[in-house]
Amino acid sequence: VVAATEAAGAAVLPGEGTAADFARCGYHRQLDLDASRWRDAAAAFRKGEYFLLDLLGVDRGDRLEVLAFYDRHVPGDRVKAVLTLGPENPEAPSIGDIFANARYYEREIFEFYGISFAGNQDLRYLFLHDGLDHFPLRKGKVPVSPEARARLTASPFDSRREDLFYLNMGPQHPSTHGVLRVVLGMTGEYVEIADPVVGYLHRMHEKMGENRTWSQFLPNTPRMDYAAAMTYNLAYVLAVERLAGIVPARRATVLRTITTELNRIASHMLWLGAYLADLGALTPFLYAFDDRENIQDVLDRFTGSRLTYCWFRFGGVSCEVDDQFVPSVRKLVDRMRHRLDVYEKLVGGNVIFHYRTRDVGRLTLDTARDYAVTGPGLRASGVPYDVRHAEPYELYRDLGCRVPHGRTGDALDRYRMRILDLHHTLDLVERALPLLETGPIMAEKVPKRLKPPAGDVYQVVESPRGTLGVYLLSGGAEKAERNHWRVPSFPHLMVSAALMERHLVADAVSIMGSFDLVIPEIDR
Amino acid sequence: VGSPTSPLIALPKPAAQVVALGRSFSLWPLTFGLACCAIEMMSTAMARFDLDRFGAGAFRTTPRQADVMIVAGTITKKMAPVVLTLYDQMPSPKWVIALGNCAISGGPFLFPDQYNVVEGADRLIPVDVVVPGCPPRPEALLEAFLKLEEIIVGKRIFPRQEVTW
Repeated sequence: VVAATEAAGAAVLPGEGTAADFARCGYHRQLDLDASRWRDAAAAFRKGEYFLLDLLGVDRGDRLEVLAFYDRHVPGDRVKAVLTLGPENPEAPSIGDIFANARYYEREIFEFYGISFAGNQDLRYLFLHDGLDHFPLRKGKVPVSPEARARLTASPFDSRREDLFYLNMGPQHPSTHGVLRVVLGMTGEYVEIADPVVGYLHRMHEKMGENRTWSQFLPNTPRMDYAAAMTYNLAYVLAVERLAGIVPARRATVLRTITTELNRIASHMLWLGAYLADLGALTPFLYAFDDRENIQDVLDRFTGSRLTYCWFRFGGVSCEVDDQFVPSVRKLVDRMRHRLDVYEKLVGGNVIFHYRTRDVGRLTLDTARDYAVTGPGLRASGVPYDVRHAEPYELYRDLGCRVPHGRTGDALDRYRMRILDLHHTLDLVERALPLLETGPIMAEKVPKRLKPPAGDVYQVVESPRGTLGVYLLSGGAEKAERNHWRVPSFPHLMVSAALMERHLVADAVSIMGSFDLVIPEIDR
Repeated sequence: VGSPTSPLIALPKPAAQVVALGRSFSLWPLTFGLACCAIEMMSTAMARFDLDRFGAGAFRTTPRQADVMIVAGTITKKMAPVVLTLYDQMPSPKWVIALGNCAISGGPFLFPDQYNVVEGADRLIPVDVVVPGCPPRPEALLEAFLKLEEIIVGKRIFPRQEVTW
């Protein structure tokens, strides 16, 4: 890697490629690469302190594409690298040894598109089950060849590690927060290797994005991440608005910001309760759910749902809030400020909690970049990066975000970052409320049958767990050609598996919990 | 819908009724969340809705101690063998509540040529009570437990809430 980096260092950077209209498509430049330069470019980006934000496959009908999105913690240069492949036996060079998260993304692309990666030995099924006879995201049914099947169904157990004792954690396990399975190779009480197996809740969201119209896909988004449904709904709506050039109504923008932030509190409350329950403290779980009920009551009044809110529309929101909205939000904010003090006394000062989290799962900045960790996990490792601050969407430019960051990057720091995020979120809601003016809640002239012009968009927002990215490709039709989600929990799962190694199995639970993994968003 | 509720030893009828009453007031659900509905299941167990009022608050993390499985969410084809194993591990008598549209029929994730969703929990295991909704509200799950108690005892014990709209 180092040699390749040295050779390629100046060959690709800086500023190579065609400049793209950031306001329109969400990335700054596009690099069209061929297979021989794919690895060199990755090495150059690695050297330039970029991280691999996303790696995805696209079927353009007559050709296949592998897209890589590189980003930095300093905003202003998001790069889309494109590798075009033929439809027959497509093979791309692997960059799994340069960016650790690429190993998982390449497995995902192989099982969904049949694009193999030269150099990646481990292309087993990640999301799918072994009863499938075709690659699901290819247009037209492309059957799985016997060679591909052999690679997909290879044994997960390393025959060279017969000294290990294998422990199967999940998929029915209370502390995996859903249906996650982690195969732990153990020596005594210590985890030696951890291999996450996901896909137990793969609900074909990306496939459904391609076979329903733009607005028919809206109800899928809250179900992708039920803990922070509003954020997912918002990300999709923002992406389509950007693609179609719709400017949302001002009042709707304020409402969307406030409700998304309220939902963020509910999501953090779920994390707080579940994480502490993982560590053996069940009392905060009851407190946290009490707070969640209060938030849900506020949102329930006008969205009509308690959990899977689908209230946003392209250009605005679906219905007006009632006159109780502002007073109830103010009351809620006051109550939450008091409750956060209670949590500080109940949890933050608890010595058992400190022993279970301090120095557990210490994440260095380099590893964080290697796996593209974002959100509170990254901020705990010392990088003040928050999409709301770095790339403000909706109202956040007017609200003025501050981004706290930690020092040590252990589980305790990640806990602190989330608590600070809760305080910050309450500030944002308070600052946004006076900006709520009367006016229309929908933009004018939004067509019922939306046909965004051909092109693609990469929209990122800050979800409670980290950077959420939506890639939409439009061919100018009523349906999307590609609908891809870059979910924050997926890299966090990868890095948890890496951090678990040489930890006690009880600490493995603590590490996973500290990243707030939400499994349906990983599985999509 | 059939369910293996018959006791191993035949009891005289009054004794069987007492046993059934006891069972209906101490249903132990399995802590087994699949998807969105699991969050509502947790809400139901928490202080506000308080499933414990009806004796069903003792969530067990192992199937060997549980007698109600709440299928709370979408069953995928990868998950289906696990659901079956868990059901088989539960001791009889046991009951199943299918919570939410996904567990009833596959819910919103059905489309022609779909490749990953099991179209209803009843394709795998016998279901006693179904709760529609996406996700159902906690009150609906409470009602499902009352319905289950009605099935076990043979008559409604708690008063039925009349819908007034």
